[in-house]
Amino acid sequence: MSLASTETMRAGPSMLARLFARQELALLLCLILVIAFFSFTAENFFSVRNMTNVLGQASLALTAGIGCAIVFMSGEVDISIGSLLATIALPLIIIMNDTNSLLLGVGGALLFGLIIGVVNGYLTAYAGINSLIVTLGTMFIMRGGVYLYTGQRAIPADAALDSFIALSDGRLFNVVPYSAVIAIVLLAAFAYMMRHRPFGRQIYAVGGNPEVARLAGYDVRRVKFICFIISAMLATVAGIILAARVGSAQHTAGLNFEFQVVAATVLGGVSLAGGIGSLTGMALGVLILQFLSNGLRGLGLPTEWQLVITGMIIIAAVAFDEAKRRRIIGG
Amino acid sequence: MEMSELTQSSAPRRFIGGQLLGSSQLVLGIILAVLCIAISIAAPQFYSEANIIAILRQCALVLIVASGMTMLIITAEVDLSVGASLAFVGCIGMAVLNSTHSLVLGMLAALAFAGGVGLFNGLVVTRLKVNSLIATIGTMMMLQGGVYLFTREAVQNHHRLVSFTDLGAGYIGAIPLPVVIAVAIFAIAAVTLRFTTLGRYLYAVGANERAVRLSGVRSERLKLFAFVVTGLCVGVAGMILASLMNAGQPTAGRGFELTVIAAVILGGTSLLGGRGSLFGTLLGVLVLKVIDNGIIILGWNQDLQMVVPGVVIILATYLDIIRNRANVR
Repeated sequence: MSLASTETMRAGPSMLARLFARQELALLLCLILVIAFFSFTAENFFSVRNMTNVLGQASLALTAGIGCAIVFMSGEVDISIGSLLATIALPLIIIMNDTNSLLLGVGGALLFGLIIGVVNGYLTAYAGINSLIVTLGTMFIMRGGVYLYTGQRAIPADAALDSFIALSDGRLFNVVPYSAVIAIVLLAAFAYMMRHRPFGRQIYAVGGNPEVARLAGYDVRRVKFICFIISAMLATVAGIILAARVGSAQHTAGLNFEFQVVAATVLGGVSLAGGIGSLTGMALGVLILQFLSNGLRGLGLPTEWQLVITGMIIIAAVAFDEAKRRRIIGG
Repeated sequence: MEMSELTQSSAPRRFIGGQLLGSSQLVLGIILAVLCIAISIAAPQFYSEANIIAILRQCALVLIVASGMTMLIITAEVDLSVGASLAFVGCIGMAVLNSTHSLVLGMLAALAFAGGVGLFNGLVVTRLKVNSLIATIGTMMMLQGGVYLFTREAVQNHHRLVSFTDLGAGYIGAIPLPVVIAVAIFAIAAVTLRFTTLGRYLYAVGANERAVRLSGVRSERLKLFAFVVTGLCVGVAGMILASLMNAGQPTAGRGFELTVIAAVILGGTSLLGGRGSLFGTLLGVLVLKVIDNGIIILGWNQDLQMVVPGVVIILATYLDIIRNRANVR
């Protein structure tokens, strides 16, 4: 059976089928199809302005998605990122209001993010608690903490720093939003790390088979620990961008954000089981969902329909992917 | 490795005493006892009949859905759509009640809808092989959007059926009706899981699905069963919630899925499947709701109702790990 299937693998599939076998190419094709479809059907969809707007909107999920994907690849999950978005906005806005310095505010937020990442990572990697439980717990703790501290009210950014506003409104060369630039730079840096740096390969090894990785001399716990810190720091960056966009620290910021990011990441072919996937795939997954919701809005569909259709597409895409994988393996 | 997994997964042990000591339930029982003692010292009214009944009533909704969810997680799957489904069920049930004035038809509609959602989740997971975490996030989105397409505001009670109001607010003797329903569902689920072949197979599927399939049992059907049962539990809980609020609220049930899953995990059921018990889930629900109640009667800020359970979930799991390590040595 297995022999026969390798035979067919070698001789059988056409050029097109082989292209489809590459996850990223299939996703890219989907993205192009989505864009093409809405370009013909929705007004004002295919314009530089709208395209770059979507990029700006996608920057949140893109940035946090890098961390989410890396944690997935290491064989763990992090669902605390939504609450983290709301949490780190507090030190950011409060320090900025006090000191009138964006740099200090961002520093405070990153420090907070670092602490959260260390806590998540320590409890998972060193205390050995299931990461879904740990991050479910810290998700509750952070959201509750934000509610407690703010009394469920938004804290506006009084300082109105130009640099802070530029984070949401500014555009590089007046075209690409700065938030998208940040996301793309981070994406490129981490994609390089995952592919060409030893640490990236260690993450794949640890997620693919922790026992083999351990025998190969990798410090499995340390790798996972660092993955959680990366995830929290990147979610912090996403939180800073979000705070700039809404101009305040919102206690409800990032509600359900973790679900959107997880969905986009899995849509992008990153396996929950660890060791499989790429950041390019994740990015394509995010873009597909973002263009989809933008296009549906362009068609005049209410947000409710966007939710329904997005849900259906996530299920359909993962089901299709799974069917394809089984056909290739021949199982 | 394989062996130790297998021995661990022979979950339902023979003696209640051995079971208590052999799982996380001892830790949880101690936590519950300490909580009760501490709260009652600080606030003596904790032990009043009215307060205990209030706690039980609050446990009922979570316990009903957690009974199904425990079965589902034991088969190594999970359902994140229960919160969104809970809201939708209330709206549909209330709408059917308004147009038919029949409690039976309203209940049937609610059960059919929620069971249908469970069936859909189950089919997507077992037939299309989609990871249940993702599949049910998808369903959650569809339901959250769908409920607003169904109704933009709360479906009010226009039928004034006494039997419907009793569903949430009625009593049998001194015990609230929702508690009686919850205990009945819990008991059926517990007996099924512990004393029937079906229950044994649910554990087996979670522990080692391939072994179950190779021994000639259709593992997909077992998982499908657990999904549908979870759905039906949501149907019952959704109608009780609608009765308590006297309306079908499209915004109800936000975060409900996380409370339910937290209670199940707290009760020592492993997310990897094959290990856990409904008795643990009962303790988990009680711990979470006693904490909620304590925060209210001590007059603390109610936002602590999110923080403290978060700490407790992590702490209880950690204590369990430490105790297991000590046992191994």
